[in-house]
Amino acid sequence: MAASAAADIEDAGRAGGVAVLRVEAVEKSFHRGIWPMRRTIEVLKGASLEVRAGELVGLVGENGSGKSTLMQIVVGLLKRDAGDVQRPERLGYCPQVPMLWDKLTVDEHFELFARAYGLDDAQRDRSVAGLLEELQFGKYRGYRIEELSGGTRQKLNLALSLMHEPELLLLDEPYSGFDWETYLRFWEMSQRRRDAGMGILIVSHLLAERERLDRMYELSEGRIET
Amino acid sequence: MSEALPISTAFVREHLRAPLTLALLVAIPVFFVLIFASVLGDFAEALGGTLASQSATAISAGWAAAFLSGTLAFFQISSSRGADRRLALAGLGPVRVALSRIVAALAIGLTVSAVAFLTLWIRSGIGHPFHAAVAIFTFAAIYIGIGALIGAFVKGQLEGSLLVVLIFSVDAFSGPQMTSNGLVAVTPTRNAANLLIAAGGGQGSPGGDWIGAAAVALAALAVALAAFWFAARTRL
Repeated sequence: MAASAAADIEDAGRAGGVAVLRVEAVEKSFHRGIWPMRRTIEVLKGASLEVRAGELVGLVGENGSGKSTLMQIVVGLLKRDAGDVQRPERLGYCPQVPMLWDKLTVDEHFELFARAYGLDDAQRDRSVAGLLEELQFGKYRGYRIEELSGGTRQKLNLALSLMHEPELLLLDEPYSGFDWETYLRFWEMSQRRRDAGMGILIVSHLLAERERLDRMYELSEGRIET
Repeated sequence: MSEALPISTAFVREHLRAPLTLALLVAIPVFFVLIFASVLGDFAEALGGTLASQSATAISAGWAAAFLSGTLAFFQISSSRGADRRLALAGLGPVRVALSRIVAALAIGLTVSAVAFLTLWIRSGIGHPFHAAVAIFTFAAIYIGIGALIGAFVKGQLEGSLLVVLIFSVDAFSGPQMTSNGLVAVTPTRNAANLLIAAGGGQGSPGGDWIGAAAVALAALAVALAAFWFAARTRL
């Protein structure tokens, strides 16, 4: 199961623990309802964390603790109320719920994201071939998203975040819907990329995954504890 | 813009791959021109308007293009908001996503306008075919703006589609020659409707209607572009 995408990253070598993500004192509240019934929900109250190149870091916490909110702030889907985020340009993001176009095929998704990432045809073909082999869903290339199972959608969701070999990979519970074999393969893929120098932050609510991670942050009451 | 074209093509494919949408692209213009036109004429008579049968048939083609373009523009945003934002974040940026979406919306608008125009031509013939074609496309362009604007701000698909239908209904039943008292004097399609009514009756239109229709259509497309941008915007 040769991984061409991972092999390319390996060529670049490890970055020697340089920080690829720095989140400092991020605050975020949501406002719901209209006056006078308006209420404010404080989700993040000064969350800070750091991910270095070649590190596989976990972010755990209970349901509703703000893990996905923090991830969306880092990616740029949500605006923060306060704090600072330093992140690289070349970033991969795998959202918790696949953000895909139901009527387009797997190959059409690769084509669109290759354009967005600025990959040429050769880079795209090499990257896609490697990812399809690693995640073993090549036979679905011509299928529309609406025709895929939840697990295969999740494989595409993950593959799209890896196409351009990002410096920092943000994974928001990326294995929901995976069968056991795919789940194990996912961790192998992550560890290979970590060893090749990629910084990876994985959101999870499973403390049982602690052993697979280099470090772990726990989000509780809007703050992060190591 | 050249970068936007292949992405727009994918966005158009996304809509045309739904068999029901394809069926409706044909069925709605036929329904509007053959059936809705007479209903519109009856309503106009009941409301004290002066909409003639030939004009009602012509304007129904415009309403068909408006209805289809508006609902499809709404669903372009509503059903793809997350994926579009992800594409923007991946490096395409919200401006290029918005440009791709507007090109796709215009291509769909042109298609539905062509179907509506052909239906009208087959049904009753048109005195001024070029004028009618432009007027029908103007209806489509105006409703691309309305559909996209609603899509950008109303997240629920049911609520959003009902709002498109509500605006469409108010617009259609308060248009020119529909009432005796000009109940709603300013509707977005008023000038385009005047053009289409005149073209259907084999008459030319005053320059004021052409300028008014062009101004409203361009403003609607600018609103649509802003709405597509707003839906795909990033928060970095």
